[in-house]
Amino acid sequence: MTPTIIVTGAGGVGKTTLSAALASALAQRGHKTLVLTIDPAKRLADALGIRDLGDEPQPVSDRTGLWAAMLDVSASWEAIIHRYAEPEVGDRLLVNPYFRAIADRFPAAQAYAAGERMAEYIESRSYDMIVVDTPPSGGGIDFFRAPATTGDLVSGKLLKWLTGSNMPGRNILYRFTARPVLRIADTVLGGPMLSDVADFLIDLRTMYDALSNRSRTIERYLRAAHTIVATTADPTPVHETRRFFRELGGIEIHPDGIIFNRTLPRAWVTDAERPIRGIDDPALRALAKANLRAWAGEARRQEDAADEISVRYGVEVHPVAWVTPPPTTLDDLEDLVSATKLIDELDALGSAEKPRS
Amino acid sequence: MASTELIFISGKGGTGKSAVAAALAISRARSGQRILAIDMGQSLGLGAHLRSPELPYRPVEVRPGLHAISMDRAHALDEYLKLQLRVPQGAPTRQLAGALAVLADTAPGVREIISIGKPVYEQWRGEWDAVVVDAPSLGQFQSYLRAPTTISTIVPSGNVKAQSERLEATLLDPGITSVVIVANPAELPVRETAESLDVFSDETLCPPPTVVMNRMLDESGLSASDLAQLPAGSVSDAATMQVALEGEQRTWSDAIEWSVRLPYLRGVLTPGEVAEQLADALGDRMDERAGGAA
Repeated sequence: MTPTIIVTGAGGVGKTTLSAALASALAQRGHKTLVLTIDPAKRLADALGIRDLGDEPQPVSDRTGLWAAMLDVSASWEAIIHRYAEPEVGDRLLVNPYFRAIADRFPAAQAYAAGERMAEYIESRSYDMIVVDTPPSGGGIDFFRAPATTGDLVSGKLLKWLTGSNMPGRNILYRFTARPVLRIADTVLGGPMLSDVADFLIDLRTMYDALSNRSRTIERYLRAAHTIVATTADPTPVHETRRFFRELGGIEIHPDGIIFNRTLPRAWVTDAERPIRGIDDPALRALAKANLRAWAGEARRQEDAADEISVRYGVEVHPVAWVTPPPTTLDDLEDLVSATKLIDELDALGSAEKPRS
Repeated sequence: MASTELIFISGKGGTGKSAVAAALAISRARSGQRILAIDMGQSLGLGAHLRSPELPYRPVEVRPGLHAISMDRAHALDEYLKLQLRVPQGAPTRQLAGALAVLADTAPGVREIISIGKPVYEQWRGEWDAVVVDAPSLGQFQSYLRAPTTISTIVPSGNVKAQSERLEATLLDPGITSVVIVANPAELPVRETAESLDVFSDETLCPPPTVVMNRMLDESGLSASDLAQLPAGSVSDAATMQVALEGEQRTWSDAIEWSVRLPYLRGVLTPGEVAEQLADALGDRMDERAGGAA
């Protein structure tokens, strides 16, 4: 399988930027690399040249070997329907107002679409390496749960209850006992809402076998991928990262490493305690010293947080430096990660599987 | 008696909105108000900042005068059916609830209306001086605010429509509802906040939001011209970073209008300490509206 790197973690820690940085650095090292981004900010999209592209991968013009794609959830679900539904059912689903709403809004829908895209890119065998940025819903955990959740949706309790255990024909839609409840529900809600949704779910149900097979395949790829958790050392992301490790552990996924983004140099902690030499102006010396002390407190906190997470979850911590202003070009992005041990590790991962010519 | 204030705190992911929501709730409770804090998101951030990580659905008093709950859709749905929809006598409530639970996961707007409904019901009950809501990040929060209108257009008549219209009226009443957006003085949060402010006003989703600028560094007194006089090493590196951040902060905090400034807390360890210190900084700065909804 194409070596695949999943970058996950809480919102606002720089996941999308780090995904692009890793992909770009891997391309620089000679691997043909695709980065699948979810919702890149304008600055990053500009750097990758993907402002108005759909989810078809495109080569990034000024980087040999770097390809980028942006997830389009609606388009991905249309593709899924075309691929796995009977044509007649597919046509009906695509014009169903609930389908559009679900494709755009159901939280697992975005996550599932990302997983499906990842699987397609892996199966295309067109790339040496794939880097996947993950959707933020559920703090990133939805991406790993989506295959199972989608299976639950199409085999859900409501459907079992509506239709019994057998697959329904559309004419005998609802079981005898279900019908009166549906009528009451519609009266309470004030419209034929629930029956419409039931019709929709029953259509979706016809895709059950295909979708659940596919879900199992996606899940296999997820488990075989290299998972990197991104965080910063701020208290909230650290708190969410702990929860994330617990929940991933609950579904037997064990991350291969953790990136601490926006890390300050550890030397600041010790240097802040040393006398400062070489500044003649006493006022400036005092200001510079107070400033280093203030940042040393932050560096110390970062160090403690990183050490604690590393020990508690037995993963290697990869610090990525805090740079100001934030990176805007591919060169800046590569500089962020090119000095990390992580990139050497991933480079080796790519080289191990690459057929040598 | 003054009516209950309903305050939603939203913002781009990572700007510290849960911390600010907790700080606001703490600061109001300190001044003697009876506060309900609601975690509407899935991040559990509010509970951590209130030193009570596992918040239940029934209000629990986390400190004097401050109760907190975490949204749980199954409970919210149950409450919605029982209290808001007045299900007819003799209806099979349990099965109906089961069916509606699936509906809530799939039909457009239902999930959102049940979530946004909870804080509004708490406002209607009038038991609190203020309901402080740790709302989801900007895009999702906006889709919640749109839900009453979405539902009104899908459902032709009946209880759901009537409830949705009442929800909408409360959410749009500037004497009741206020929205606070948390931003940081950097490019992405400021851009995203500015874009969201346009959406809030173009679609009239709520009264005009106020912006809190969180993580504002105190000026160090160092300037770019000082940097050349510093010997290479940590002192110079930290000064260079500080000067760059102050520049970035000036540029981006000037790019948008905001009303409250909160400090960047360096070296603070736990979410609980962060919320306490922000509450100190907040003092009475956000209490201008206290009792203003009389």
